[in-house]
Amino acid sequence: MAKTAKIEVKEQGLVDSMQGFFRTLLEKGDINALLVPQRLPRKNAVMPTLVTDPEKINGADPLAPVFPINAAKVVSKLTRKPLHGKVAVVLRPCEIRAFVELVKLKQARTEEVVIVGLDCLGAYGNVDYLRFAGEDGNGSTQKFFQNALSGKGTAWEGIDISPACKACDHPIPENADLLIGLLGVDTSDHLLLKANTAKGEAILDNLKLPAAKESEGRKKAVDALVAARSAYRDQMFEETSEATADIEKLTSYLSECINCYNCRVACPVCYCKECVFVTDVFDHEPSQYLQWAKRKGAVKMPTDTVFYHITRLAHMSTACIGCGQCSNACPNNIPVMEIFRTIAHYTQKAFDYEAGLSLDDEPPLSVFREDEFQEVVAKMH
Amino acid sequence: MRKKIGSALVVGAGISGIRSALDLAELGYQVQLIDRAPHLGGTLSQLDYQFPTDHCGMCKMLPLVERDSSSQYCLRKGLFHENIEIMLSTELVALEGEPGKFQATLRQKPAIVDPERCTGCGECSGVCPVEVADEFNAGLTKRKAIYLPVPHNIPNSYTVDLATCTLCGECEKICPTGAIDFRWEARKEFRILVVDDELIVRDSLKDWLTEDGFQVDAAESGPDALEKLTKQSYHLMLLDIKMPDMDGIEVLKRAKEMRPDVAVVMMTAYATVETAVEAMKIGALDYVLKPFDPDTLVPLVLKLYETVERSGEREMEVGAVVLAAGFGSYDPATGNNTYGYGEYPNVVTSIEFERLISGTGPNEGRLLRPSDGKEIGKVAWLQCVGSRDIQANADYCSSVCCMFSIKEALLAKERTDGQVDAAIFYMDMRTFGKNFQRYREKAEKEYNVRFQRSRVHSVEPEGANGNLRISYTDLDGAGREEIVDLVVLAAGQRPPAGTEPLAEMTGVELNSWGFCQLQPFSLSRTAQEGVFVGGSFSGLRDISESVIQANSASLQASSLIHSKGGGLAEATEQSPEFRDVSRELPRTMVALCTCGDTLAQAANFDGVETAVSALDSVTQVHRLERICTQEGWSQLEEALHSSEANRLLIGACLPYVYTKKLRELGKTTGLNPALMEVVDICTPAFPNRNSNPEQVSREIRTTVAMGVGKVKGMEPTPPAAIPVIQEALVVGGGIGGMSAALAIADHGFGVNLVEKEDELGGNLRALHRTLEGAPPQELLEQTVSRVEKHPNIKVYKKSEVLQSLGSAGHFLTTIEREDEGGVTLEHGVAVLATGGKEATTESYGYGQSEAILTQHQLEDKLHGDSVNPAELRVVTMIQCVDSREEPRNYCSRICCGSALKNALYLKDQNPDIDIYVLYRDIMAYGFLENYYTQARQKGIIFIQYSVDDKPRVEVENGQVTVGVTDPILGKEVTIPSDLLVLSTGIVANGQDKLAQIFEVEVDQDGFYQEAEYKWRPVDFLKEGIFTCGIAHSPRSISETIAMAEATAQRALRILTSDRLTAGAIVAEVRHSLCCLCEKCISACPYGARWRDELEEKVMVNELGCQGCGSCAAVCPNSASVLSGYRDQQMFSVIDAALEEMF
Repeated sequence: MAKTAKIEVKEQGLVDSMQGFFRTLLEKGDINALLVPQRLPRKNAVMPTLVTDPEKINGADPLAPVFPINAAKVVSKLTRKPLHGKVAVVLRPCEIRAFVELVKLKQARTEEVVIVGLDCLGAYGNVDYLRFAGEDGNGSTQKFFQNALSGKGTAWEGIDISPACKACDHPIPENADLLIGLLGVDTSDHLLLKANTAKGEAILDNLKLPAAKESEGRKKAVDALVAARSAYRDQMFEETSEATADIEKLTSYLSECINCYNCRVACPVCYCKECVFVTDVFDHEPSQYLQWAKRKGAVKMPTDTVFYHITRLAHMSTACIGCGQCSNACPNNIPVMEIFRTIAHYTQKAFDYEAGLSLDDEPPLSVFREDEFQEVVAKMH
Repeated sequence: MRKKIGSALVVGAGISGIRSALDLAELGYQVQLIDRAPHLGGTLSQLDYQFPTDHCGMCKMLPLVERDSSSQYCLRKGLFHENIEIMLSTELVALEGEPGKFQATLRQKPAIVDPERCTGCGECSGVCPVEVADEFNAGLTKRKAIYLPVPHNIPNSYTVDLATCTLCGECEKICPTGAIDFRWEARKEFRILVVDDELIVRDSLKDWLTEDGFQVDAAESGPDALEKLTKQSYHLMLLDIKMPDMDGIEVLKRAKEMRPDVAVVMMTAYATVETAVEAMKIGALDYVLKPFDPDTLVPLVLKLYETVERSGEREMEVGAVVLAAGFGSYDPATGNNTYGYGEYPNVVTSIEFERLISGTGPNEGRLLRPSDGKEIGKVAWLQCVGSRDIQANADYCSSVCCMFSIKEALLAKERTDGQVDAAIFYMDMRTFGKNFQRYREKAEKEYNVRFQRSRVHSVEPEGANGNLRISYTDLDGAGREEIVDLVVLAAGQRPPAGTEPLAEMTGVELNSWGFCQLQPFSLSRTAQEGVFVGGSFSGLRDISESVIQANSASLQASSLIHSKGGGLAEATEQSPEFRDVSRELPRTMVALCTCGDTLAQAANFDGVETAVSALDSVTQVHRLERICTQEGWSQLEEALHSSEANRLLIGACLPYVYTKKLRELGKTTGLNPALMEVVDICTPAFPNRNSNPEQVSREIRTTVAMGVGKVKGMEPTPPAAIPVIQEALVVGGGIGGMSAALAIADHGFGVNLVEKEDELGGNLRALHRTLEGAPPQELLEQTVSRVEKHPNIKVYKKSEVLQSLGSAGHFLTTIEREDEGGVTLEHGVAVLATGGKEATTESYGYGQSEAILTQHQLEDKLHGDSVNPAELRVVTMIQCVDSREEPRNYCSRICCGSALKNALYLKDQNPDIDIYVLYRDIMAYGFLENYYTQARQKGIIFIQYSVDDKPRVEVENGQVTVGVTDPILGKEVTIPSDLLVLSTGIVANGQDKLAQIFEVEVDQDGFYQEAEYKWRPVDFLKEGIFTCGIAHSPRSISETIAMAEATAQRALRILTSDRLTAGAIVAEVRHSLCCLCEKCISACPYGARWRDELEEKVMVNELGCQGCGSCAAVCPNSASVLSGYRDQQMFSVIDAALEEMF
């Protein structure tokens, strides 16, 4: 039975009470540091920040509806090798799920990390967010949650949360040691704090917070949100499959791509130190281009645009957790997330695997099952 | 490649023969591998699937170290090894000399089709008018007289079956490459003399034989014949027995005096058959019965002609001989044949079923009934057909049929999605091997295969529609019947044809059933020193045991050659120096074979040449008429010599054939063979592909362009040389460990033998008798004494292994000595032989009475005289105590033998004792069956119990009473017993600890997990570490010794050189790109990769790496690459392949 407690909100508002909680966590939680999204000075950009001094926590706003980068990459940097200290990391569900994949790919370790997960109601794209936040960062966060939790939705003046978030069927953090719950919780009074693991429980005990119960309404609220998002997701799968159904359609889908590789840089699970597309592998002989051009009379340059995306799909669709950072990073608004999530959905289904779900499920390419894909390999006598 | 002094002959090229030959070749000996069949592979060529994976896996026998010496493709298709010469259709006809220096005479059947020229196109078969049953498909399909003996061989050349060939010569005319040559000219020189007093016989014989191309004279009487013989020599005389002036016997005697070389065949009427047989004793080769027709006589003459005239005989000196002649099969049509084999088409043997269900079989893998092609709904397997049958002179168990039938039942289930009803009718289900019991349970519980304990007495047709009715007696004695579509007979084993002459020739002894008799405590030594046995020639064995035994035979052969002074002395061979072309731009010479005129006609060759010339890097294109001939090859060599090309691409047929030739070419031209490649341009032009010239040309262009793409990108690096510490570590001083240590030490290498007790011997110390009679304590004494005196063995008693680092070739292992502290040993290989122990139990009242013992304890007490057989009235034994059910769901294999041994001993000492053995299945496999029969004959009562209704034991005042349900009576029987002996079986003995230290695996029962049960039974996945004996799985003394010899054999592959060459194609890691995700480590099927924590790098063991490329495939950014298959190179190949498509 998971242990629960409450983070009191009362009149101070969501952001302040959250900051108060983090201060307590740093002071009493037996941790050396906290990684939390903080509002940077001057502009309202929100970035993961590693904090050791409780006094420096006053910019923290993990509820701000934006995550300019997927922080799993940052956690990987912190934990790839021994950290010699314990760090609590405040992450969105998709960030935790990316972290899980990175751990399985040996790019991160769980030993010295406490994961604090938050219910996620979605985030705006980086550019949209800056407009939404305007001058009042904290105020905009409060506004977003009031609207979202009260049923008024997330759209505002022609902008809305990103398609990735709309299609996200995992708004509740899984694999978090501590969970901060908002959905179905009376946030005017308190936030729900729940320990899901022994690690989380130990901390929760240290914090000496008032006890609370998980409300009946929470499950209902979660189910409703997941249902709405799943519907959006399924429609997206259908439309994307149609839009990329053959090589011509796929080429046209990706026609604005300029091979900037931003999507790859933004992708939290694309973990290679150096991508194969920047190594010598694709250094074709100059004469090769001429030969290709000759074959059809004309060839688009660079030649490997579609190949690049297909390669990345082949490499990463088993690990894609659908955070949408690829679309967020695309300078030409190509729906990169849509195609990745769609393909990933089918790839993962084929391997009976769901990325980010569990640390115990081995990544598909690491396991050899003699009997899988009989429709492909069987009857080859 | 290493070459050693010494050579060996391996007779039989089935699994065991190939294994032994590869073993000896890997050690560096020159090996002659012969088989009388025209193909390699023995029985296995007919089997597509093998228990327990239900796949093949024969290729796992191929060399893992120094692997470039050998072919690296499907072993069922063929084999090439630098040190092996393979002669097919060849028999051993004489063996003389002495161990270490035998003279062997080999006779090879003539090859009418030249395998060098035959491309396998199949034109010949198309025109052949003959159709006969195809033995490959066990007679279920037809073939021509010119045919492929095995459909999947590479290269696959056609063979003429002279016994059925009509010599019409059509194939010779149509062969596009001129590969067929009946040598009609030579036949004209074969002179035959027909001697008969009847004109009609003389005339018709003369007609028939002249028509077949022979030169025939006739003599009308004995004197006439002798006169002709004085004038001229004849090759063959056909001689009538009954002639007026001088009878045939007399003529024979005189003819042989005059011309000892003349071959004589007697012609006889039925009345004088005995005389004809007598004639054979004084020199006649054969006889024919009159009256005869051309169909019987001509083939006989042809056969004689081939053996007398055309068979090539060859003599050679060999140090040792391994007989791996395999086995024959019982013909169920002989004897009473109550199952109607041969009468009802839907009664087949196991091998026939195997072909029936095979993808290359008559129905392309669909399960159809032979009689009418109807889909099969119900199949019954009948066990022990011609085995365990005293009437059929087979008081032995054929050992493999139980698993074979289960496997076939599973295959049938899988093929039909579980639709087929599969039932196995058996007496005892002998699941005595590792994992067999669980396999049986999988069949029973997951696949619903029915196991029906009963003996079927007859099979009869049910109506006229092909259905069969089987009648059997159930356990309770009631008669029952079932109607099935197909009956499969598990036909037992017999010695192969020709065993007796082979035994006589080689000096080995045969047992009473005609199998080769082995020496005590050995599975490979025979009565004749220097002649060893591998595989089923000494009793049927499954693949795993055949492999072990073949290893053991080759080890013995090597030891013998070594002891005779040949041995592992290195014969130096200069490795060739190649031109350094790394700084040159690629210049490719392309040589295209036109295959006489065939290819030039099938394709637009001018167009091909133009297209190929235009390819990047191609500097010249040659068209050669026939590269496969000596002439064509010289032209190619010449062209390469005079060119400046630094790459060579050959377009011809059968690329596999060229491996050896390219190596030679490298030596003569100085161009590294790694810069040469052969592609197949012949197949596109095969007539049955029905392609037009444009299509053929396009396929050839694409194939050649792909080849050019590949050779262009080749950048050979010299293979790495891996230093080897030429010492071994053996852990465990039981009979297994000691035998392994001795075998390695006898070859001149140092061995460190680590034993945790203060005495050597292990479990053997507790054994006082064996079932077969050989005394185990003598074996123990001799072995311990040899070990302790051996100059190459250092024994560490009271010592245990603490930790081990390193990989094949170089390990560092620390051992802790109880009295003297730690010591670190350097060694190249390790053998883990830590044994097992008798299980203890809490079942059946054990511990409650002194009258309840284990089999071991009984043996001990009988030996120490604390149990006196004379004082015993009733002894009960319970088998399978806590065994063959979860969690110990395996058979301990030795308990039935132990029970039989102790029971027979007790009966022998006191015939009045009543002995009851309560059992589930008596595992009296192989010749142990004979002791089971003896036991029953001596009145020992065997009562079968089931696992749901186990015996019950009551102990009152020390008095033991056993209750058991008798299945025949259907009632409880109570047996007040003076002694209750429990067969508790064998359990693991702390293998997991050592496994962790050496980074190897244990199975779910705690025994060591081998790399592959069938094909690599003594290897671990991690190269350089091996296991034998009970530590791997329960087994007998001789089985343990054989396994120990097998580990020694595997270890010696590594130890015999101070440096091993890695394969040319091995994986490497580009560390600057590697992000240490370790996907490659989990993907590597050979355990050849690991993460070095200190260096923070992923490392590759180049000895272990087999170049499969799995690591390169899972690596997302080509940090893991395979030499010889660089990305850009592969892109070029793919581009070339797609060029013509898009």
